[in-house]
Amino acid sequence: MIDIRRRTTFFFLAVSLGHVLLISAQVQAKSGMPVLEDVAFGAFARVQGGLAGLGDGVSSMWRNYFALRGLAAENAALRAQVSQLQGQLQAESAISAQTHGLEEALNLQKTVTQRTLAARVIAGDPSPGALTITIDRGSADGLRENMAVIAPGGVVGRIFRQPTAHAASVQLLIGHNAGAGAIIERIQAGGVAVGLGVGDDPPINLNFINKSYEIKVGDTVVTSGQDGIFPAGFLIGKVERVDRGGSTTYKTIAIRPAVNFSHLSVVLVVLDPPAPDAGAIK
Amino acid sequence: MKAFGVAGVLIGSLALQMAFARFAVGGRWSIDLVLVAVAFIALKWGPGAGVIGGTIGGITQDALAGNTIGVSGLAKTIVGFFVGVIGSQFVVARPAPRMVVVACASIANRLLVLAISSAIELHWAGVSWAAMLTEMGLNALGALILFQSIETVPSLMRRRPSRRSNFGKRKW
Repeated sequence: MIDIRRRTTFFFLAVSLGHVLLISAQVQAKSGMPVLEDVAFGAFARVQGGLAGLGDGVSSMWRNYFALRGLAAENAALRAQVSQLQGQLQAESAISAQTHGLEEALNLQKTVTQRTLAARVIAGDPSPGALTITIDRGSADGLRENMAVIAPGGVVGRIFRQPTAHAASVQLLIGHNAGAGAIIERIQAGGVAVGLGVGDDPPINLNFINKSYEIKVGDTVVTSGQDGIFPAGFLIGKVERVDRGGSTTYKTIAIRPAVNFSHLSVVLVVLDPPAPDAGAIK
Repeated sequence: MKAFGVAGVLIGSLALQMAFARFAVGGRWSIDLVLVAVAFIALKWGPGAGVIGGTIGGITQDALAGNTIGVSGLAKTIVGFFVGVIGSQFVVARPAPRMVVVACASIANRLLVLAISSAIELHWAGVSWAAMLTEMGLNALGALILFQSIETVPSLMRRRPSRRSNFGKRKW
């Protein structure tokens, strides 16, 4: 309807815009800034805000969506790392327990008058009737057959076979046919502690104790030293049950061993044999 | 020629406005002869000339009045443009239509000034319709006088030599 020249319209708009800018340059906003600066700053701030929002959105989309593509690999790597760390933790725990065992063995070594040598349990042989373990010391370390093996808790067993250079087999006291000279510490009554092997509980019997002795449950049983293997005075265990023995002259006494044979990690090998006169019993 | 005409009309209207202004102190009545001049320029030479006339006249008015420069300038630019558009689209040659156009331009100019001022000061100053109508009437009257004067003077100038010529012919 309005037939005007385009150039005139543009000229009118440009002049009007010039007026607006001229007015804005003179008028101050509430902030004290000229309206032109205030409007320009506000508009630019909005543009910046929009751009920042756009950037944040893109960044958020990148993190939440595109980054998921690498999340599976990262997850797998983290799982592998967790597994590795768990393995390391178990190794550290084992080392800690081993260190604790070594500390206990060291303390025991200080209290034992005989020369001893610490050895690490490296294997076991739980065959029925003949319980044995393997230690990492051998003839190269001065070990010989029938040397006593003890632990912080008490007597473990003896080296029952000629050791190799760097390993030795130990017959546990709870094993079938294992035995040690023993006495009941309170009454000094002597006998023989015999292993019963797998299946008997408690796994050690104290034989050849005369019926005349008054044996009490809980009495401490220690080595007598008369067997020529175990030095006198090492703890074997405590009396748990006493049988009258029927028509025989001896009592059958069940002993609960002081050593937990299922948790042996470090043991001491007694290098010096017991003195011939040690462990005299009644 | 157009530029000189625009400049002459604007200067004349400003001079008259300043001459009448001292009678308008107190706000009982007001007249805007510059607006009348802008309307005249827009009707005579088109919207482009109306924009230029409105800009120059309005800014000069603002500068002389000590107002924010550009308020009247913007208002008169807009008015000048649209009056020019109306003048180019419709036949506005007779006195009555011209008065109507100037009257509407006066209302539009006053409302535009009020709107721009309110936008600057962030509050609406209010409209005095009586003052606005008075100004509208005075502007329309001023436009009638201005238009008739400007259009009459050249014809009078043209008539004077012909009379002399006739008088010369009478010389017997």
